[in-house]
Amino acid sequence: MIELTIDILTFFCIYVIITLSLNFQHGYAGIFNLGLYFPIIVGALVAAYLPGRLAMLIYGIEGLDFSANNAAVISLLRTNLSSDPLVSIMLLVITLVAATTLCYVLGLLSAYPSLRLPADYLALFMLCAGESLRVIGMQTDWLAGGVMGITIINPFWWLREYSYYGMALFAIAATAAVILVYERMCNSPLGRLLRSIRENELTSESVGKDVNRIKRDTLAFSFTILGLAGVLHAFLMGAVVVGGYTRVDFSFWPWLMMIIGGTGNNMGVFLGTFGLVIMRRIMIVAKHYFWFLPFNVVWFEPILLAIMLAATLIFRPQGIFPEQPMKVSEYVRKVLKLETEE
Amino acid sequence: MIPIPIILTAVVYSFILSILAMGFTLQYITLSVPNLAYATIAFASTYLTLTFSLMGMVPYTAMPFAFLLGGAISYMLYKLVAYLRNKGTSIVGLMMATIVFDLIIYAGMNIYADYLAQVFKLYAGSFSLSEYDLKIFSIPAILFVSAATSIGLVASFTLMLIKTKFGIAMRAVMENYNLANVHGINTERVLSIAWFFVGGIAGLSGSLYPIWFAMDPWVGARMFISIFAACVVGGLRSIYGSLLGGFLIAFSEIIVTYLLSIYFPWIWAYRAVTSMLIAAVALVEMPSGIAGLIQKWRGG
Repeated sequence: MIELTIDILTFFCIYVIITLSLNFQHGYAGIFNLGLYFPIIVGALVAAYLPGRLAMLIYGIEGLDFSANNAAVISLLRTNLSSDPLVSIMLLVITLVAATTLCYVLGLLSAYPSLRLPADYLALFMLCAGESLRVIGMQTDWLAGGVMGITIINPFWWLREYSYYGMALFAIAATAAVILVYERMCNSPLGRLLRSIRENELTSESVGKDVNRIKRDTLAFSFTILGLAGVLHAFLMGAVVVGGYTRVDFSFWPWLMMIIGGTGNNMGVFLGTFGLVIMRRIMIVAKHYFWFLPFNVVWFEPILLAIMLAATLIFRPQGIFPEQPMKVSEYVRKVLKLETEE
Repeated sequence: MIPIPIILTAVVYSFILSILAMGFTLQYITLSVPNLAYATIAFASTYLTLTFSLMGMVPYTAMPFAFLLGGAISYMLYKLVAYLRNKGTSIVGLMMATIVFDLIIYAGMNIYADYLAQVFKLYAGSFSLSEYDLKIFSIPAILFVSAATSIGLVASFTLMLIKTKFGIAMRAVMENYNLANVHGINTERVLSIAWFFVGGIAGLSGSLYPIWFAMDPWVGARMFISIFAACVVGGLRSIYGSLLGGFLIAFSEIIVTYLLSIYFPWIWAYRAVTSMLIAAVALVEMPSGIAGLIQKWRGG
């Protein structure tokens, strides 16, 4: 029961990071990005490639290839890392820094062609970029084991039988930090600026704001956080199978979570994510009761997602918790005379 | 020297891709909503071809049914999109509505593949029907059928646009929806028929795909990259530009990648990605695509 709770909680954490990043991009800045899985895959690929090979270098493991001799290498690394918390934590930090930096740079680079496009084609461009990276990952055996995938290290092996809990706790702490950062950013002048760009780019430009630069930076920052989600997901799974990072799981589901929760409302998105994560996990457990059907019940999941999406678009397009007016500090209220002075 | 099978692959692929790119652009122009389910609708009909082949029939007999299936799904999608648009749903909401259909069709294909696997012990998760194809003068019939289908569809579509009242009404709706409405054109009817027709030709093109290529439920998602690239290279809002873009992308993916693979053998596995690279370059260097270049050349 504890393991199931932790499993749901970590799954929820990953999706909270993804949906809040999406909300930051779309709910606040109005950037329509359907390729959320692009930076997530980048993060996962870095986690698959970097820490294992670094650990091999540190411990002088030679004559074996991390990808081709994956099981043997992982076994050796587990033995070494189980008694070396310092190196383990260092590997975790290096992986996080490398993945987030790479994602930031890729965010800047992908913004260059994509922000020239109208919103709908930007979404398509990013979707295709994500799918392309997925194809690359699946075709490149040395990167992350290709189609078959690869087992990776756990930076908390030194906690022995509690290593999974260590990783889960780290993921929860990272999620809390991400929530805090997004909440502060969205309720700061930056959040107001992003909303103004979302509502009317021309007006923002006319008051001297460099809209393209702000959108580019927003995209790059979201990419960074999504890369973090990719790393955390990979470490929590203990393996990277690039083929598993599909547009349905890592792009369409987060979109549904955001739309149901309430676009532009972090709390709504948080609650929407919670509800849908619980529902998805229940479905995974419930599928064992449908053994008699002549097909895998897992295919009901996209159908259910589709029905919920359609129902939300038709009956409650603003989501369960619609966007709220911004929190404005007392100082700003006073300056802008938002309230009548008594 | 490029081997004959590679040339044949490029030709068949280019015919299929160019028609799909043209259909995608046409749907985009009519409602200004990119149909994310377009490729999945096209490739849903591949399972009709599979079923007909398994029943011992020539795979091409599935074509009219593929047209009807693609058309019917596209028509239903149009109804949902039109309903939401009339309610004032944003472009984002309308694109999400197309995802609804993408997901249902994708799940449906997988359920059918599972059903075939469990009941008939056929691994339908990945298949190719090239062995069921006919031969004309020792050449696979798919070459002639794909060419005839593509040329026939483009010719009849052009004639319809120029010569028929419906075509003129459709052009009017594509140019200015509101003005067409004011002029008494039944815009809803015109768009319904246009979406049915475009969905139908998508289904038709998709039904030919497994007769030459390997098919699996993810082909739609992968092919969407090529369709998008073809539309970008051709010009985002140009029907005939996307047709040309389709040929260009198809030949780049197959012929150019093959030629490069002579020196860099590993590159062949990444041919699906080359189209995305071309699209990115096109967006930066010539955002209006081939259509824009032609217009510039004409002095427009």
